[in-house]
Amino acid sequence: MEHPILFISVVLQKLGLPVPHGAVGSNFIEQICAPYMTYTWFVMAFLFFVIKVTIGDLELIPGRGQNFWEVVVGSMDNFFAENMGRELADRYFPMIATFALFITVANLIGLIPGFMSPTASLNTTLALTLIVWVTHHVIGFKMHGIGYLKQFAGPIPLLIPLMLPIEVISNLARIISLSVRLFGNIMAKETLLSILFLLAGGFFAPLPILLLGVLVSVVQAMVFVLLTVVYFSQAAEQAH
Amino acid sequence: MSGVKKEFVHLLANYGHVGFTFATSIVLGFAGGVLLDQKVFNGKTAPWFTFIGLAFGIAAGYKTLLDVVRVAQADEKRQAREEQERHER
Repeated sequence: MEHPILFISVVLQKLGLPVPHGAVGSNFIEQICAPYMTYTWFVMAFLFFVIKVTIGDLELIPGRGQNFWEVVVGSMDNFFAENMGRELADRYFPMIATFALFITVANLIGLIPGFMSPTASLNTTLALTLIVWVTHHVIGFKMHGIGYLKQFAGPIPLLIPLMLPIEVISNLARIISLSVRLFGNIMAKETLLSILFLLAGGFFAPLPILLLGVLVSVVQAMVFVLLTVVYFSQAAEQAH
Repeated sequence: MSGVKKEFVHLLANYGHVGFTFATSIVLGFAGGVLLDQKVFNGKTAPWFTFIGLAFGIAAGYKTLLDVVRVAQADEKRQAREEQERHER
């Protein structure tokens, strides 16, 4: 795909660093300078500094910035507690909330010309998904010990040879469906936007897609987080 | 977020992934079968493990559907319980 102008890549090229022309670079420095990597760093820096600047020191009587973040974090906390219980929500809130903020900002940043969504690369979404997938098994083993494996055996011992492959396949399908859905939606948005910009950018052709892009970005971040919560609570609950 | 919008996003999150997960399960089962046939047994068992893998994949697909139903039922039960608690107060 013909990439539009990406500001960070242009800056890096002016600095003399090698920016790969394909999707992935050939050596280590090129791989680090690939657009999805640099924009991942950008999103992380953005989140860090914006929160640092808007909150500053925590005060008892919140200012405008602190008020905003209190609403965001408070509503996320409520949402998690509703869906997976207070105890689990308290323990895994930092991780899931970070995912939610990161994915939302990463999705939305691609709507600004000159930026790209890091989540439009399968590498980013697969990394996020693998963290979630490993964590939900760790939660399961922590809660039930070795008895967690019984969740994969089905209800009747006689049916284990039949149920085990089914459970394993449907569990592995989670990795693919979670990562590819986020990647596919965001990549489609990015591709569509860049094509419409190239074809008829002067006639505001991308405008409706920009509007839809905001919806898709927020909804996909929500879906990812909600599925994470569902997987965590399923791993934690007693075997059915 | 307003009530309707919240409901909409919630529904999308709960059911938007059904089709994709179903398809992924089938493809995974099929791919596993092909892998067993071609790589492990070098094509000697040719179509059989592919068929078995496909069958398991389809079964796994239906299992993911059942999972969705189970999550929805648990959701409903929780909502009913909350409603009851609100009435009792």
